[in-house]
Amino acid sequence: MRQLFGVLLAALVVASVIASGCISGGGEKTTVTFLSTQLNPPEERAFVKDELLKPFSEEYNLEVNFVPIPYTDLITRLEGEEQTGKVTIDVIGDLHGGMDYMAAKGWLMDLNDMPQLKDRTFITTFDRYSHMHGIKAYVPWMSATYVMVVNKDAFKYLPEGLTEEDVMTGSGKWTYDALLQWAKNLKEATGQPQLGFPAGPKGLWHRFLHGYIYPSYTGYQAKKFNSPEAIEMWNYMKELWPYVNPSSTVWDSMSDPLLKGEVMIAWDHTARIKNAIETKPDQFVVVPVPRGPKGRGFIVVLAGLAIPKGAPHKDEAWKLIDYLTRPETQVKVLEKTGFFPTVEEASGKLPEGPLKILAEGVRAQASTQDALVVMIPNLGEKGGEFTSLYREAFERIVLKGEDPQKVLDELGEQMDAIFQELGVEEP
Amino acid sequence: MERRSLIPYLLLLPAIIYLLGFIGYPLIQAFYLAFTKDGALSLDTVRRALSDYYFWDALRNTLLFAAVIVPIQLGLAVVLALFMNRTFKGRDLGIYALIIPLTISDVAAGLIWFSLLSPYGFVNKLLMNLGITNTPIYFFGYQFRTREFFVIVLAEIWRATSIVFVIILAGLQMISREYLEAAEVFGAGYWTRLRHIVLPMLKPSIQSALIIRTLFAMQIFGIVLILAGRDIPVLAAEGYRQMVDLKDPGVASIYALIIAGISLILAALYVKFLRAEYLEVSRQ
Repeated sequence: MRQLFGVLLAALVVASVIASGCISGGGEKTTVTFLSTQLNPPEERAFVKDELLKPFSEEYNLEVNFVPIPYTDLITRLEGEEQTGKVTIDVIGDLHGGMDYMAAKGWLMDLNDMPQLKDRTFITTFDRYSHMHGIKAYVPWMSATYVMVVNKDAFKYLPEGLTEEDVMTGSGKWTYDALLQWAKNLKEATGQPQLGFPAGPKGLWHRFLHGYIYPSYTGYQAKKFNSPEAIEMWNYMKELWPYVNPSSTVWDSMSDPLLKGEVMIAWDHTARIKNAIETKPDQFVVVPVPRGPKGRGFIVVLAGLAIPKGAPHKDEAWKLIDYLTRPETQVKVLEKTGFFPTVEEASGKLPEGPLKILAEGVRAQASTQDALVVMIPNLGEKGGEFTSLYREAFERIVLKGEDPQKVLDELGEQMDAIFQELGVEEP
Repeated sequence: MERRSLIPYLLLLPAIIYLLGFIGYPLIQAFYLAFTKDGALSLDTVRRALSDYYFWDALRNTLLFAAVIVPIQLGLAVVLALFMNRTFKGRDLGIYALIIPLTISDVAAGLIWFSLLSPYGFVNKLLMNLGITNTPIYFFGYQFRTREFFVIVLAEIWRATSIVFVIILAGLQMISREYLEAAEVFGAGYWTRLRHIVLPMLKPSIQSALIIRTLFAMQIFGIVLILAGRDIPVLAAEGYRQMVDLKDPGVASIYALIIAGISLILAALYVKFLRAEYLEVSRQ
């Protein structure tokens, strides 16, 4: 019995020596914990882990633990860590709206205190957005938007007074009325409605409604949800719809309909039309959206990188942020995921081809004179309710032909209730 | 003696644990989510569900789908099974061919039919190349909800009739040839035998087939989403939307409970009205 005990003790000693050796051997590399609500789909995750972060790890001899996480889980975890003072997160990657919430709660470090990031100019609008609640809350990381794609053949049927140049650059003549006339011409010439929208259940149609046409007509996303300007807009939509391909209500993404030739003009998220442009780069161009009476409303989705207060490795975290915002890194991200760079230098590093077509269109849209930039409001769990009100309004007014005033009276109340409940001002 | 009386219970235990864990607990959870608010009993969620713009449409459409699809499938399956129950050359091949759609998921089936019938899909191209039509016929889109409805019915019949067929065929093969031979000896023709022997003896199979198909019809979801988007709201899809898009687990639970409730009622009706008749018993 005693012998057995001795052997066991010896084994334990040997084991602990080996184990401690392993621990200290591995411990030399600091691990940066990077939680992100972005780049979460499996193929993007694989890209981040295998391609994006590897060169960084090698360059700085740092490990990065990339943790894809849904927004609500991120907030819960960060709140817990900030309250107990045991912060384990070094870098947070999230959308502007989420950053706004975290900064308002006082959970984010003021990045003004960190050293300058060299050799890059952040796009001015993005940089402006990243300063809030009295601090520099995040570094702009990636952006995305929704644009129009035009099959070059459609330019043959442009309405009078509108030139290809107007559409490509987003001049003042490229209006929603011009779009209606163009769509009419196309239907008359081809016998088929040639305009398409992703209005299927998984399509991003609601973004068009609240982020594009609403602000273009009313100047606001939600504030004038029920207003004479909104009625005017809905009447326009009713007029436009006969020239929209009826299958739109089943489409979730416009890439296929464009490639199959079912539509010649489509609106969708840049990531969802990327495939069409990559497949036939000579056939399609990306153009700014039309303008309405109040300007050219469009959504900019902006993701940023932040460091939570009390982060265990803030200097290493800053190195990661520096790496992720380098122009060449940003081009790599664009190539793989369709998210656009936030630094101006990146556009000079783009190869000729489909990506350039996309990037040019996005740039043209962002630099139009009458741009009315819209950020998706951060409503947390109420986000779905918010967007579904627009969809319901569309279905009832345009598809079912209900009286717009009656529908807006009813849904406007629900819209107001969402914002009142959250204590957020209507955008 | 005591140990022996314990054995049946022990043997039942895994099933009971399974039922409690995977059905009982979620069911209680669903009731809890549906009928409480802040821990107290409340009908608030029910009101929210019933006042949803899509609720009644979804309920009506779901019942309509079941009412159209299930009888057609049953009729078709009985005819096919009677046909396949004879011996002829190529019978096995025929059965295989009939069963193939069973292996395809509803979403995949939806995609197949969508690409067949889309404006520039196979069917339209064929029609246009043959000169039957000049412009594509639209099957999808809000304006064409009736067509969408029939495409969904068609796709469901194509996809899920085989499950009914398999059950009915198995039932047919269980019928002892002796009954039929005896009837033949007494001069009963094909129709008499079908009406008085085959169909009554098939009742248990018809009952199970109907229950299975109706339950699935109440859960119809993927195929509708692919072929009609939300043009035709159905219960399961609305429940999913409440949960995923609107983050309202309470209302989603109500949808789930309604699906479960209707299924239960229909299954009970089938059991009551399609009580199996055994020839031995009914022969007086």
